Amino acid sequence: MFGWNGKILRIDLTKGTSWVEAMPTYLMEEYIGGRGMSDRIVFDEIDPQIDALSPENKLIFSTGPLTGTGAPSASRFMVSAKSPLSNCVSSPCCGGYFGANLKYSGYDLLIFEGKSPEPVYVTILNDRVEIHPAKHLWGKESYETEKMIREDMKARFNLDNWALNSMGIANIGPAGENLVRFACIMSDGGRAAGRSGLGAVMGSKNIKAVASIGTGQVNIADVEGFRKAVMAFYKEARDSGDFYKRRRYGTWGLPGRANASKSQAAFNFKDGYFKKFVKYEDPEKIIELIRVRDEACFSCPFGCSKRSRIKNDPEYPLTAKGPEHETMALLGANCGLGDMNDLCSANYLCNELGMDTITTGAMISCAMELFEEGHLPEKDIGYPLEFGNTNMFMLLKQIARREGIGDLMAQGGIAFASQYGHPELFMGIKGMGIPAWHPQAFDALGLQYATCNTGGAHTKSTMPFYEGRKDPAFFVEFTKKDQDYLATADSGILCWIIYHGPEWGDKMAEWLNYVTGTGFTKETLDPLGERIWNLEKLFNMKAGVKEDTLPPRITKEPRVKNRVVPLDKLLPEYYEMRGWDKDGTPTKKKLEELKLEKEGEGVI
Amino acid sequence: MKIKIDHKTCTGCKQCEIICSLAHTGSVNPWRSRIRVYVGEEFCYPVIAGPYTEAACNSKGTRMVEGLEIDECVTCRASCPSKSVYKEPDTGIPLKCDFCGDPPNPQCVQWCAPNCLTLVEE
Ligand code: SF4
Ligand code: SF4
Repeated sequence: MFGWNGKILRIDLTKGTSWVEAMPTYLMEEYIGGRGMSDRIVFDEIDPQIDALSPENKLIFSTGPLTGTGAPSASRFMVSAKSPLSNCVSSPCCGGYFGANLKYSGYDLLIFEGKSPEPVYVTILNDRVEIHPAKHLWGKESYETEKMIREDMKARFNLDNWALNSMGIANIGPAGENLVRFACIMSDGGRAAGRSGLGAVMGSKNIKAVASIGTGQVNIADVEGFRKAVMAFYKEARDSGDFYKRRRYGTWGLPGRANASKSQAAFNFKDGYFKKFVKYEDPEKIIELIRVRDEACFSCPFGCSKRSRIKNDPEYPLTAKGPEHETMALLGANCGLGDMNDLCSANYLCNELGMDTITTGAMISCAMELFEEGHLPEKDIGYPLEFGNTNMFMLLKQIARREGIGDLMAQGGIAFASQYGHPELFMGIKGMGIPAWHPQAFDALGLQYATCNTGGAHTKSTMPFYEGRKDPAFFVEFTKKDQDYLATADSGILCWIIYHGPEWGDKMAEWLNYVTGTGFTKETLDPLGERIWNLEKLFNMKAGVKEDTLPPRITKEPRVKNRVVPLDKLLPEYYEMRGWDKDGTPTKKKLEELKLEKEGEGVI
Repeated sequence: MKIKIDHKTCTGCKQCEIICSLAHTGSVNPWRSRIRVYVGEEFCYPVIAGPYTEAACNSKGTRMVEGLEIDECVTCRASCPSKSVYKEPDTGIPLKCDFCGDPPNPQCVQWCAPNCLTLVEE
């Protein structure tokens, strides 16, 4: 078989058993891999009505036919489950080395079921799948966990340095163990399957970590064609200034860009501009301040992620990953924090504790506004918490460990803000914090966030890259196309940073054809994204999540460029574009077209 | 001709491992690659498999690179009995860089996007 391994590894944690199943052909043909495959399994195997933190939820790690092949950026793995934060189906994506190793071990999918009676960690070395006790790891922070597992694996499997180095580990920090509803699954020293709280799902199953090292191979149908195509891609990319910029700056070019276009989420979205970031408008400045080296995910020519040095602080390690733009925006500008050392520390803390920096930032900025407005008394937190106050570092730890007010905040933004009488001050969509770009700055970004099936996610839309366009019809159409395209790219699975727009669909078809030997084209791939989008929507509706809304601040208070997001005007157009009813229910006709009639039963 | 390695610009992407195995075995498997990358905190260290020796050396030590202490075995090009990494995982056959043909056309150099591997005249 080319590209795919055609195997699913299932682990029943309740019984402590594992077994391998053959992958049904239709999953490969119709859903390719990644988000497509795992969403399909969520839909087929998880009752949408269950509590996301109950043993009935499943945790699905998926790779795609391109994973580990060397197609540029094909390192990623997807994790899918029902989210404890939004109650929707959610599929965050993560880079690093874990995805490729799972693939080299011989599996396309890894599915966890049930709940282990005791904390465990799982190791996968080809067909040697083992579940080990992890009491000694419980409570440990993310990086320490990985280190201890590496040492353990070294002794257990007699691995040398290179193999230990090449291994991929997905793990949770204290936040995941303590079921913080926005806990991440961390991987390889600072990468995260970030949004929507799947770290808590992993914690609810008592899994501390999964480590994988595979010695197998991935077969490619047309080796010569593939080699030539990748070379051509590199040649083209090397000659372009865009490639240089993306490699050199990663996401560090974005704070300046966001500030310049007044779209920088700042002060709990009260503003679209953050004065303290002016000094970082030239990304060379950030490089000079903190960069140690560029760091790439497996098989990525860009290496957009940066290893940086946190200066003058004995509490932090010498070097750490990031901070990425989203983190700088939400934990930084949105909380009024503008010093690079502070940004590094906040990022480092969240990574170690295993919390999504975006929703965490939205939580804290909400608490800051509540505090400044006098709704959140100081006695409830124990210290002052105005915007820009570094006391927030204490709060980060309290949330992860559920201490004091952190216990309430760990329940998510709506629960917390409602307790203090102002649910509208939590800037979230379906419970998930709004990402870095202020929706009021771009015509349809608000629409993209509001209609996103997993809640406000920055990897399910690319709107800021089309800044300057003004035509609303273009935006509504673009929103649909872009959402569908990214669902396809996530099934590939390719990285959003490289393949950042629908025009890249051809490229993915090209890689898929060389690798799998099948006849994918952009035209045959496009409906796949739409099918996934509709399938996700149906799951959400069955789970009781129907509304596509934005916080009132975004639709009513003109904070940026004197504009609000006219969601009530855009939504009907969008629903029509999708072939859905006025209230956003997929129509029978649409579902027939997508061959999803059966899936729609009971909802439409 | 030789391959010059600039470990400071290596990003740890491991594309060199992938193309080396693809070029030599027709499938992707870093365990069959003749180049292996050690990913460190401050820098990464690509090492190309040199000639195979029957005996392990007895002068092993550590070495400083950019202020970091690293195991000398890691920086050595030779494949020896104490470096199992340079053997095929299933057959145990030692792996050795063949410079990708004659005239040399190192595939790893071509796939190293940050240009950290370059082909230079002696
Ligand atoms: S020159 Fe060829 S054989 Fe040698 S390490 Fe590079 S790719 Fe492998
Ligand atoms: S391809 Fe180049 S940058 Fe990537 S790991 Fe190999 S030597 Fe380093």
